[in-house]
Amino acid sequence: MQRPDWAPDDIDIERPSVARMYDYYLGGSHNFAADRAAARRMMEAVPDAPLMAQANRAFMRRAVQYLIDQGVRQFLDIGSGIPTLGNVHEIALRAAPDARVVYVDVDPVAVAHSREILAGDERAVVIREDLRRPDRILAHPDVRGLLDFSEPVAVLVVAVLHFVSDADRPADLLRTLREALVPGSYLVLSQASAEGRHEAQRAEAEKVYGRTDNPLWVRGRAELTAFFDGFELVEPGVVWVPQWRPETAESAENAEQAVFLGGVGRLDG
Amino acid sequence: MAEPPGDRSRPGAFARAWAKAVSGTSYLPMTHAQLEALLQRLTDELAEALRTEPLDLRAGYRVGGELVAAHIASAEGLGRTVEVLQLRLVRDLGLVADDIDDRMARLLAAVATGYARALRDRTLDEQESIRRATLAARTEAERALRASEARFRHQATHDALTDLPNRKLFADRLAAAVYEPEPRARRIGLCFLDVDRFKRVNDSYGHQAGDRVLVQMAHRLRRAVEDHLVARLGGDAFVILVERCTGTGDLVAVAEAVLAAVAEPTIVDGHEVTLTASVGIVERQVAGASPDELMRAADCTLHWAKGAGGARWELYDAERDGQELARQALSAAIPAGLERGEFYLDYQPLTSLHDGTLLGVEALVRWRHPQLGVLRPDRFIGLAEETGLIVPLGGWVLAEACREAGSWTSAIGEPPFVSVNLAVRQVHRPGLVQEVSGLLRRTGLPPRRLQLEITESTMMNTAEEPVLALRELADLGVRIAIDDFGTGYCNLAYLRDLPVTGLKVAGEFVRGLRAPEPHADERILASLVSLAHALDLTVTAEGVETGGQAERLRAIGCDAGQGWHFGRPAPAERFLANLR
Repeated sequence: MQRPDWAPDDIDIERPSVARMYDYYLGGSHNFAADRAAARRMMEAVPDAPLMAQANRAFMRRAVQYLIDQGVRQFLDIGSGIPTLGNVHEIALRAAPDARVVYVDVDPVAVAHSREILAGDERAVVIREDLRRPDRILAHPDVRGLLDFSEPVAVLVVAVLHFVSDADRPADLLRTLREALVPGSYLVLSQASAEGRHEAQRAEAEKVYGRTDNPLWVRGRAELTAFFDGFELVEPGVVWVPQWRPETAESAENAEQAVFLGGVGRLDG
Repeated sequence: MAEPPGDRSRPGAFARAWAKAVSGTSYLPMTHAQLEALLQRLTDELAEALRTEPLDLRAGYRVGGELVAAHIASAEGLGRTVEVLQLRLVRDLGLVADDIDDRMARLLAAVATGYARALRDRTLDEQESIRRATLAARTEAERALRASEARFRHQATHDALTDLPNRKLFADRLAAAVYEPEPRARRIGLCFLDVDRFKRVNDSYGHQAGDRVLVQMAHRLRRAVEDHLVARLGGDAFVILVERCTGTGDLVAVAEAVLAAVAEPTIVDGHEVTLTASVGIVERQVAGASPDELMRAADCTLHWAKGAGGARWELYDAERDGQELARQALSAAIPAGLERGEFYLDYQPLTSLHDGTLLGVEALVRWRHPQLGVLRPDRFIGLAEETGLIVPLGGWVLAEACREAGSWTSAIGEPPFVSVNLAVRQVHRPGLVQEVSGLLRRTGLPPRRLQLEITESTMMNTAEEPVLALRELADLGVRIAIDDFGTGYCNLAYLRDLPVTGLKVAGEFVRGLRAPEPHADERILASLVSLAHALDLTVTAEGVETGGQAERLRAIGCDAGQGWHFGRPAPAERFLANLR
């Protein structure tokens, strides 16, 4: 028999949620006192944390726009969090009304919130599932119902791999996802890196996130590049996120401050 | 440098400066070009307001609100907006008026006010939205938990194969019915049901087919007795709880219904099969009943139904149950009785019909039961045969008979032989020859003074091995007699082939000799005797009760007699005294 994965007691607004902390970094108010307290602790150690979140969010926006331009119409956004402030379906549907988006998040509140936002729109759906169970994501009836895996799908794993430990074998998880895709599909990755950062900041960040359900696993450029195994990286490869196809030369300045590394890979035939 | 108003195709210097000032203050879900376009529109609106008389502050409120709506909604975003508007708007747009500073200050205040109002509203909306999401998530989690708990409870109380209530749920319901707090003169009943020879279905069609049949049976039972609880106890055993019945009639009706339901043709693996079932019914007052006792009674009644051939129901009978329980208790006491020396032997004479001499005695076991007094073999031998206890008991009888007979002396020739009954199981046990020859050696009893009595049925099913054993014993000189001859299936062939030395003719033939005229029994007896003599066998008549019977038997040519006429079973001293 299958017990539910989470009990009502697990939905505890006294415990900071990484999804709501991220919303706070982005200037949203979809958060509670515990989330703000944790986010402020993070900002004491890493004052530009909100800028990093913004830069990462902007990367995702540009990546989605790029994929729409490449003709991709199906998006599987794993670790979507609180889908406010320019979420994937807004960007994608504005650019291509025939686009379809599936959001996946493990945080029940984020899922409930997404469901409310998406109510009535048949082109976007949210499921509660875990990146660490890719086979369950792929087999989910809502995923199968909305996405056609015989056509290209863009899988977004944006700002979430740093919550997946090495013990959970992130490369295997990504391979399982890749094996479900046809050529012409894409993988969008970004994750927090410790490169160029003071060790004390990293330690403090790990401490803050250690108190959430999702401790932090920072990784370097080589590891992130390896995650694209099987995909052909599109220009400019794995870079600090502001450097990824910037809209203005200015916006790519001081890119290494962004902490997030990101890239987009294409599955070739 | 003044810009022409209304040119919205390209952002002017002011809008670009404004965009630069606010970019990075918060996440802006738009491209920089989109931002500049937005801010150009707002710039035009503000410029229009500054030029218009009277000054309409609502333009300022609107711009503040639009900034928030576009997510230019951080504290820094407001600060920088105020700064850039104050420093550059009038100048960049070349706005000229006497009271322009005054107008600018009032418009700026309106922008800030509109911004703060909009931000407050947005914040409250978002807080409400995330709280609503939290509640929704919690409700969903609780629903999922309840569903899983309900599923868990269902699985804990139902049989996985048939989905009928399981033994546990049944036990709970029965206990609840029996121990209901308000004591009313109510009655309760159980039907225990078991499909007859269900194992055959499994053996013939496989367990999966068998399982499908059980599922069908479950459906039928539930349909047949809708009002009552039907549970599966395991295997092909089901039970039906009938609450608030008015008498056995209600239960019989239930039993008839389920028997009919089971008997409907069943398709097993494409074959039509007709199954039957046995039902044990117990029905009684609730007062004084216990669930365990009800279950046991129904189970025991089911076995009666099975024992009677199945395809039927039986009603519980307390008297019969009591007797069976007593029998079981008696049977269970046999080993201890043997150990404590509660068994002893009496002997009944086998007398020559030719000259009246004592030829032998038959050893008859008695049980001096501590509570029940002296018990005759008919009370416990059958039990011992059913349970297998006949082996130790029969072994004791044989040993004791040899031991006692070995010590007998006679002043008038050889002491009588001792005749001992051997049960089927004893005959079939390996090592019988060694056991007997060992006893003879130890007791000094000559083999010819031991006679083993076996029944016809023992011989009928006798395989090679036991026949060899009997032959070896016969070769030693031991007498082998067939007991109760003429009452079972007589196969004359074995009389020829087996090492038998004598026949004991059942007493019922002898009883017919009472009639004054020659009777069929007498003719049968006469034929038996001549047949036996033709085969060189001696004939002993059992159950001889009168001198007349003895006389007839002698006239027919029968060799020996046994019965009250010659002497009742008694301790050995009784006949030994006559031999001194």
